[in-house]
Amino acid sequence: MTLEYRVMKIIEENLEEKVEFNANTDLRDELGLDSFAMVIIVNALEDEFGISIDAQDYRDINNVVDIVKSLKQYCPDLKES
Amino acid sequence: MNRDDFYAGFNVDKSLAYKYDFNPYYCSIESGLNDPIIIDGKEFINLASNNYLGLAADKRVSQAIALAADEYGASMCGTPIATGSMVILKRLERRLAEFIGLQDSIVFPSGYQANCALFMSLAQIDDLIIIDHYAHASLIQGVRLVGCKVKPFLHNNMNHLKKLLEKTAKYKRVFVVTESVFSTEGSIAPFDRIVNLCAEFNAIPIIDDSHGIGVIGRSGRGILEDKDIENFNGLYTASLGKALANAGGIISGKRELIEYLKYSCPGLIYSTALPPPVLAGIEAVLDIVDKEFSILSERMWRYKRMISECFVDNGFNLTEGEAPITSILIKNLEDCACMAKLIHAKNILVTPFIPPSVPPNESKIRLIAGANLSQNTIDRALDKFKEIAKELSLK
Repeated sequence: MTLEYRVMKIIEENLEEKVEFNANTDLRDELGLDSFAMVIIVNALEDEFGISIDAQDYRDINNVVDIVKSLKQYCPDLKES
Repeated sequence: MNRDDFYAGFNVDKSLAYKYDFNPYYCSIESGLNDPIIIDGKEFINLASNNYLGLAADKRVSQAIALAADEYGASMCGTPIATGSMVILKRLERRLAEFIGLQDSIVFPSGYQANCALFMSLAQIDDLIIIDHYAHASLIQGVRLVGCKVKPFLHNNMNHLKKLLEKTAKYKRVFVVTESVFSTEGSIAPFDRIVNLCAEFNAIPIIDDSHGIGVIGRSGRGILEDKDIENFNGLYTASLGKALANAGGIISGKRELIEYLKYSCPGLIYSTALPPPVLAGIEAVLDIVDKEFSILSERMWRYKRMISECFVDNGFNLTEGEAPITSILIKNLEDCACMAKLIHAKNILVTPFIPPSVPPNESKIRLIAGANLSQNTIDRALDKFKEIAKELSLK
């Protein structure tokens, strides 16, 4: 399972309703996630990867690609698959 | 700093209001909450107020208010810990606690203030607050002020809540916060299940029953009665400006904690107490609720059913609400503005909810039909909504 797929799965499981999205979909502007919805996703990522994401970092997150990039900084040992 | 630049930064974006030549907010209502109400000299059907039981303009309530104003004047000009502490306030606090089914309560100047003030006095930096995603702004503001870890859970989703509660070992104390009736859509929290989960994971449940008190439960006593919750081990807050048709807010719960808050809650101690006429007005409403809830409630629910059925039959897209609230889900902000204007043009007052009050793409128009409205008024409103459906070719 690629890291990108893992992240997408986490997002999917932590949305209020099922929606179509891809790695480049803007989570706020296109999926319409509000600040609490973003916090739900960040909390789920923190639990999944055992990390603590800095508030400023997740303000800069717009899509799955950004999340994967950020995760690699937090966990340099994370494998792509 | 250039002071002109400073003030120039506070512009409100009213582009949508200009585009549609219509602003539904801050309208000038010239009457009390009668049937009809008067706006800009015109008669309107009021489907916007939180006046569920229709008691805001009830003569018995306004007479009680007038008598109290006559006896005690406009204000006690003091905080509840000082000269605001008067006999009606103490009596009302006891009565509200009995009404809800809890040991004691404190009356605040507003529900928003009660919610904001509560968490500052209750929680600490090493605590965890788990809160429903769609909780009211006052609760969100309150929990954010603490500075502790805040984890929202998916709206009314017990699996998600349980998952979060399973990972709370590192926190000193855990609070689970939600509303009883989510007012933009009318969904009701499964609070009995939340209370059970809190018991299982040793967390403190906190419920805001602003749209539940005087509305749900066999005799209008709110969420605890509605869900048959006995010996409630958490905290309860509510606004007194909705079904109870006055102003103010309460925090209610165990006697020791309420006593502690009375001496430690800055939002209470440093704010002027509610004026005596308002306190008397709340007492008068409680008297009426005690005697007439079944009649008022039957009318309120009948109107809600009639409105929902009419909307479904005529192609409006509704949210699934269990409370006496009907919400048309419009999603798109501009479509919502358009619909609100159409409804307003038919002389019906409703409440449009647009972001940031609701999540993006979740714009809604909310209707609440108070029990003071006549059957004839509801029939006329439904006819007008049928006309709107036809004009928009919804069916």
